[in-house]
Amino acid sequence: MAAGVLFPKPHDQVLLALAGFGAAGILAGSFLNRAPNRLANGVATALWHAPPLEAGAAMAGLAALAALAFHPKDKPRSAMTFGAAMLILWGCLSGAGRLASLFALSDPSAARYSLGAAFWILMATALLALLDAAQRANLGLLARAGLIAALGAGFALTANSGAFADLSLAKEFASHRDIFFIELRRHIVLVASAVFFALAISAPLTALVLRRPSARGLVFSGLGILQTIPSIALFGLLMAPLTALSQQFPLLRAWGINGAGAAPAIIALTLYSLLPLTRGFFTGVSEVAADVKDAAAGMGFSARQTFLLVELPLAWPALVSGLRVVTIQAIGLAAVAALIGAGGLGAFVFQGIGQYALDLVLVGAIPIILQALAASFGFQMLLAARRGS
Amino acid sequence: MIELRGVSKAFGAAPAVVDLSLSIGRGAFFVLIGPSGCGKSTVLRMINAMIACDRGAIELRGEDIRAMDPVRLRRGIGYVIQSVGLFPHWTIEKNIGAVPRLLGWSRETLAARVEEIAALLQIDRELLRRYPHQLSGGQQQRAGVARALAADPDIVLMDEPFAALDPVSRASLQDEMRRLHAETGKTFVFVTHDMDEALRLATHIAVMKDGRLVQTAAPRDLLNRPEDEFVREFFGREAMGLRLLDFVAVRDRMRGRPRAPETIGADASLRDALALMIERRCSRLSVTDGGGGKISEIDIADIIKGQDAT
Repeated sequence: MAAGVLFPKPHDQVLLALAGFGAAGILAGSFLNRAPNRLANGVATALWHAPPLEAGAAMAGLAALAALAFHPKDKPRSAMTFGAAMLILWGCLSGAGRLASLFALSDPSAARYSLGAAFWILMATALLALLDAAQRANLGLLARAGLIAALGAGFALTANSGAFADLSLAKEFASHRDIFFIELRRHIVLVASAVFFALAISAPLTALVLRRPSARGLVFSGLGILQTIPSIALFGLLMAPLTALSQQFPLLRAWGINGAGAAPAIIALTLYSLLPLTRGFFTGVSEVAADVKDAAAGMGFSARQTFLLVELPLAWPALVSGLRVVTIQAIGLAAVAALIGAGGLGAFVFQGIGQYALDLVLVGAIPIILQALAASFGFQMLLAARRGS
Repeated sequence: MIELRGVSKAFGAAPAVVDLSLSIGRGAFFVLIGPSGCGKSTVLRMINAMIACDRGAIELRGEDIRAMDPVRLRRGIGYVIQSVGLFPHWTIEKNIGAVPRLLGWSRETLAARVEEIAALLQIDRELLRRYPHQLSGGQQQRAGVARALAADPDIVLMDEPFAALDPVSRASLQDEMRRLHAETGKTFVFVTHDMDEALRLATHIAVMKDGRLVQTAAPRDLLNRPEDEFVREFFGREAMGLRLLDFVAVRDRMRGRPRAPETIGADASLRDALALMIERRCSRLSVTDGGGGKISEIDIADIIKGQDAT
């Protein structure tokens, strides 16, 4: 009994481990790196050097998470977990921003303040706790969308007020601000066109493999070979023929199609999307129960009606998840396309690597991750909307 | 109503149906029976053009099915399969209304028909709003039958529809089918491998073996005069006599004045009478009429003698 009081049993080992992870992060890593210029190595600064209000909030939030692990899993706990996670998030963001501003008062203007391991670990801890709370609260998709929008708006408002202006990440962003939105748009256009073309090709390809079992082996092994070509190699392979083509046909050049740039990138991304998309569609449609198709045909559904009224609706979840996989894959792969001059957010990543400017890499990488998350969430909404109808 | 003339079908090298001729009259409850793989389902699926025959001709209502559009042909024929095949993404109501909707019925006519057919098959109104997976196997097949009958086809094809059901659901659906057949006068073609089911439902039974027709007859004639050893074997040699007792009423064999204490109704079958005698350990039963009054008597010897004569 006494041992039970001294060492109470946690109700949620996951949350406890998460809190431990966060605490270890604070102790081991640097919260903010203070460097005299963009290239020099920085000096690590720990969380407790941040303004006391923010540092306190982050640590209190972490302690609260640890304490909540011993609280029974119920509705109020989800709310409290959410609150604790928000405390950590706010403490980290605002703490890092204000600490950088404090340093900037005394440092020369070339000094840079980059976010350190402790910051990222705490952010990850908070986000995972948030996710866990949202899951346990069993929030509907709309509520989740609202929550994400509110968090995003809060962040945007704070950022707009200049709270993070002295962080090097913000500085990199600010100095690339104009081109950032151009590249972001390019990135989205690359992904959207690739998914569009892949869809346009996969649909008839799926119809083919469904009707002609003999074509299955050829189609899938062909697409499989495409899939195994490394992305950079495929981008490179496409450059030569496209250059030749555009030199041959001035019309193509007029449309902006040549060896470098968007054209080979979109083609490569489309090719990569074909296998997962076609396979997903094929499996989805062919897994519609045979007896259901038999009943439909036997009752006098035409082939078209069987497809539109029975196979398509029943295969819908598989179709959407195929699209989801392909979109997320294209968002990631499109970053590589920057290497052949297609632009997109990958441009910042490779520029940053070239200049050894980690923060510039993040200017490209963070939006790529966010895009992938957004796409995943969007497709989940699409599935849920269908299920609800 | 349905004529098959010299129909053959092979899947690859394996013959499924060999030179089969059948004539199914209007209003028949025609049961195709045989061991699995004998080609009975193939015959059924050739009637609604799900499978095309290699040789021979099939006529429906006097018209060669090769001259008809298969999709329109099928809309005029009810179709029920063993695995039910309800559309899992549609409510029972929508499932039942599937063919009428294909045929372009108005919303009001459709709604009225769904009500009517659900009532006919005793499907609870509450079930209409549910999805197939929320129903028991018996309820699902009830809905499957309702769906097949919704557009009021004059021909209904059923491929081992009750084989996967529990005995209670099966018996109740069999009763339902007998009632439906008597009430609607539709032509039923029913595939089964269950002899009791065939004897219970059929007006005509066709026994098939290895893609060929062995014998076609009314159930009682089939029991009285099996064509060959195969039919005899298939009907269960030992049980044949007992099964035959199903087709004779006590009324037809009773004689003399009632003296025995135990009673049985005049419309019960001889099989019921025999079962009661065994249960009560007696060899005579008094026979009662509809009013309950004893009118005559039946002796175990009267049950046993002269079976072939009837």
